[in-house]
Amino acid sequence: MMDAAADRRGGTRRTARVVQYVAIALALVWSLAPVYWMLATSFKTELEAARLAPTPWPLRPTLDNYRGLFGGSLPFLAFFVNTVVTCLATAIVAVIIATPAAYALSRARFRLRAATGYAMLVFRMLPLVVLLAPLYLLLLNARLLDTHTGLVVGFATFGLPFAVWMLKSFVDAVPIEVEEAARVDGYRRWQILFRVVVPLILPGLLTTGTFVFMEAWNNLIYPLTFVTTLEKQTLPAALVLTFTGQFKTDWGGMMAAATLTTLPLMIAFFAVQRSMVRGLTSGAVAGA
Amino acid sequence: MRVALAGNSRRPAARTAERIPWFDTMVLPSAGVLAIVVGYPVVYTLVLSAEDYNLIGTTPPRFVGGDNFAKLVHDPTFWQALGNTLVYTFGSVAIAALLGLALALLTERASGRAGRIVRALLLTPWAVPFVVVAFLFRYMYLQNGGAINALLLAAGVIDTPISWLNVASLALPAVMVTNVWAMTPFFFLLLAAALAGIPNEVIESARVDRARGWSLVVGIKLPFLRNALLVGCLLMIIANFNDFAKIWAMTQGGPGYATTTLVVYVYRQAFESFAIGYASAIGVVWLALLLVFAFAYLRALRVR
Repeated sequence: MMDAAADRRGGTRRTARVVQYVAIALALVWSLAPVYWMLATSFKTELEAARLAPTPWPLRPTLDNYRGLFGGSLPFLAFFVNTVVTCLATAIVAVIIATPAAYALSRARFRLRAATGYAMLVFRMLPLVVLLAPLYLLLLNARLLDTHTGLVVGFATFGLPFAVWMLKSFVDAVPIEVEEAARVDGYRRWQILFRVVVPLILPGLLTTGTFVFMEAWNNLIYPLTFVTTLEKQTLPAALVLTFTGQFKTDWGGMMAAATLTTLPLMIAFFAVQRSMVRGLTSGAVAGA
Repeated sequence: MRVALAGNSRRPAARTAERIPWFDTMVLPSAGVLAIVVGYPVVYTLVLSAEDYNLIGTTPPRFVGGDNFAKLVHDPTFWQALGNTLVYTFGSVAIAALLGLALALLTERASGRAGRIVRALLLTPWAVPFVVVAFLFRYMYLQNGGAINALLLAAGVIDTPISWLNVASLALPAVMVTNVWAMTPFFFLLLAAALAGIPNEVIESARVDRARGWSLVVGIKLPFLRNALLVGCLLMIIANFNDFAKIWAMTQGGPGYATTTLVVYVYRQAFESFAIGYASAIGVVWLALLLVFAFAYLRALRVR
């Protein structure tokens, strides 16, 4: 009796194992197949990429699509540089401005602290498209349309509140005793922040900066609206704008451009992957 | 210390209250920048929503009170866009959350090097920029030469290739599949972290009580995941409400208005029709909707 039951359980467990592995394999295919398809297509010739019966892998692998991006009529290198410059600038500026705010929200006592914290959280959730028209008019009057600075201003609308919240969670984790010691040594607040706290949360600054960088890299609506000259465009917007032109049928070229647009984000992503949960739920201890 | 306290004891509450300042100088840089780039636009949107303002029109902006909102109520496209937004948001978030949960439970016991690699690979879609995701799926959805049609034809599921993004009834589901693909890793990572956070004793004592398989998952694990699931869903609902890149790069809201969500509609009104006033009115309604979710989010956090 007992043996039969144990046997049966062993059998179901083995079946469960097999089902589990098959499910994981399917999940991997679902997750990776589109990425594989992008890479494979980027090495296909224009003709092969447009074939009615798609070839599972490049029959005659070629680098022409990538060469075309840099030697062709499109200023692809400029797109790349624009995106890197504006996203990096946003990340750096956001982290610098947000650090003291995060410190104050974590440590200082002031009456509007909870209100400020909540306001930052709500700011982070605002629909960008609602800010779009007023921001456009603002940048127009400030003569910042079509400039990198204007884009950075736009990216700051979501990058800054996010950076404040995420950095606050890093400051929260610094033991207060460290600061007490510095206070006894006669350090003032700003000195404590920059000489004691900032060195301790350097990894946090880096992670937060990377997050802001990624969010800016993903943004399409701002560059599409605030940049009017193609040469000054960022990669995501350039992909959208040029698709109707040069890449209309050139899926190989399109996918090569897509691959190069993905690469920096992929590197940034896997660099901060471990802090990902903290980043996306930062603010989860709101009001604490 | 004690002496000082004793000296203040006549009006202790009033004295401490006096010493707490209203604001902190360290917050000023952030607050100042946000007041200009977020606060001002929000207030300006409220003002614009009561104006008849055409960006390329010859007439100056004119105050029209609630006219824009009255127009809104009778605008079928607005209601369709609102409906699309709700379907797109709640549909994608629900499916992605379930898939993410399934993946988290599936890979829970996968440990060691292989486990780490599998987990990292499952996260890959997250690292693909939204616009790239959109174009990639657009290519795969092609009627002629698209990978998805080729696969379905080969498997015998369909007889003739389908133009997924050009059929009104199929376009929204097709975009949602794309969205789910991009969003699932978020739930996977969040829930995997929450699963790892369940104390061992809880699982062990449940095992002693002969809870296995489904009963272990539903009875013991799910309650522990509730908060993570709630916070994750609310965050993604807000993110999806605001999603522009994927929809715009795939369909631009078409065919017709089949995939036009509120973002797309506002964008079209403001930057294609240049009806800034009307676009702002839609924005205000939407802002109100979003605030509801924002408050739900804040409450959920406090419960936590």
